[in-house]
Amino acid sequence: MTAAALACHTRNLSVAYRAEPVLHHVNFEVPVGSVMGVVGPNGSGKSTLIKAMLGLVTPLTGRSEFFGHPLDKVRQRIGYMSQSTSVDWDFPTTVSDLVTMGTYGELGWLRRPGRAERGRAIAALERTGIPDLANRQIGELSGGQRQRAFLARSLVQEPDLYFMDEPFQGIDAKSQQAMIEVLKDLSLQGKTIVIVHHHLATVRDYCTHVTLLNGSIVASGPSAEAFTKDNIRIAYEVREGAEAFLETAG
Amino acid sequence: MSFLLGTTLLAIVTALACALPGAFVVLRRNSMLVEGIAHAVLPGIVVGFALTHDLNSPWLIFGAALAGLLVVLSNEWLIRTGLLIGDAPQGLVFPALFAGGVILLSLDLSHVHLHTEVILVGDLNLAAFRQLVVNDVSIGPRYLYVMLCVLAVNIAFIAALYPKLKITTFDPEFAATLGLRTQLLNTAFMFLVSVTVVAAFHAAGALLVISLLVVPAATAHLISHRLSVMLGLTAAFAVVGTLSGFWIAYVLNAATSAGIALFYGVMFVAVAFADKLATKLRRKRRVEVDKSAQGTKPAVSEAKQLDRSRSKNKPQVAE
Repeated sequence: MTAAALACHTRNLSVAYRAEPVLHHVNFEVPVGSVMGVVGPNGSGKSTLIKAMLGLVTPLTGRSEFFGHPLDKVRQRIGYMSQSTSVDWDFPTTVSDLVTMGTYGELGWLRRPGRAERGRAIAALERTGIPDLANRQIGELSGGQRQRAFLARSLVQEPDLYFMDEPFQGIDAKSQQAMIEVLKDLSLQGKTIVIVHHHLATVRDYCTHVTLLNGSIVASGPSAEAFTKDNIRIAYEVREGAEAFLETAG
Repeated sequence: MSFLLGTTLLAIVTALACALPGAFVVLRRNSMLVEGIAHAVLPGIVVGFALTHDLNSPWLIFGAALAGLLVVLSNEWLIRTGLLIGDAPQGLVFPALFAGGVILLSLDLSHVHLHTEVILVGDLNLAAFRQLVVNDVSIGPRYLYVMLCVLAVNIAFIAALYPKLKITTFDPEFAATLGLRTQLLNTAFMFLVSVTVVAAFHAAGALLVISLLVVPAATAHLISHRLSVMLGLTAAFAVVGTLSGFWIAYVLNAATSAGIALFYGVMFVAVAFADKLATKLRRKRRVEVDKSAQGTKPAVSEAKQLDRSRSKNKPQVAE
């Protein structure tokens, strides 16, 4: 595969939290236009992989590129949806303010978001199906609504490559459906999506590509090739959740 | 300007200068770090005082604020090393610096005479004692103008960088992915907090300055759903609390900064209680409206839901 066809790749990425190694010499590539599911047991380094690529965690070794460039050159083309548990939902701000934050990267040091930015925020909320919640204080949202607000915040950035950390965690069926519609729509537009995901049973529903991770890469590639029973067994060292999945999958 | 008016104005300006950055300190959960700064600046203040013989000297304020920043940076570094867990790094750094200040004081360095009580709780009246005289006319305490400068710098900083402060406070990780210099902004902000703490030290001391920074913002946070509203209410609570505390101390002939800090505490409890009461009344009224409108079983669950959407305790709204 040529470098031009990759939305992002990382070579020889190793990360440790203090003395605890988390990722060992990971080589990871994501083709343009794919929906890449990053799957693995708890503590396998899924979120760390994304964070290290985006410079939120300093790796010991390794280099990441996005559309063939280092991160700082193409930041505007990359969107990040963090886990909703990572922020304080008691913070005094409204849903539309939260979504508008997605535009702050374009504003420079001193400019404030204006009518145009707020308009984009409302449009993004419409896409995720919660425009009526725009003026609510963020703490009033349910788990699913919080994830939809976070998704709207990354939509507002209008990136070509999305990184999503557990977007379906703790959400209701209605929110999940609304978010899947948006993801499908993005995929149709040719956007690339990297999803950290922990629910094995739904991986094939969303993802064109899968990376199985357990400290290092177990398998990575198109779903049909990488997401096999043998690879899942190796990645999960056959734990409870995976066992149940393997049984139902036959 | 009369001494009483000058001192009152000084109290209000000091309270405002502390309370506005205090709103971000509270939201960033850095309150105890500021407590650390307030203690750690002591050696800087003692050395600065020995050199300048003036607690209001800009050089002293700048130098001591650098000592305060040392706490912030060494605290962050110690957390990164993982040598100490939780907020233990603060327990390591600031008592050591404070102790250094106490030892410097006891060495009677260049005959520095700073009273222990002034160090702990400050003395507003003493701070207001030196008047600024222009053309033989007193235009208020010199210290008032120092605090006015600090207030102006704080307002300018917050106004200019408002969106950046907001996003780095709410979601620093997301801010970093946007390419914002979160570390630089954090250091600049904590330096400003340090400057404010040192400047207010004379009036409020190492112990009570934390009250000026934290309590008005914490009170406003109870009832604010927007950051801009919270900042406005923070300023309002700072002014009301200061005036009330000031006059109580004046009437009782008690220590002024202690009177203000105590009234701040009373104000917080009163607002928290009033907020709870208002929530309860809203719920009750809603149930009654439902009863009379339907003439059937009260829609308690719906009333609770409405109440939740207004309450600051905010459990989740149903889908």
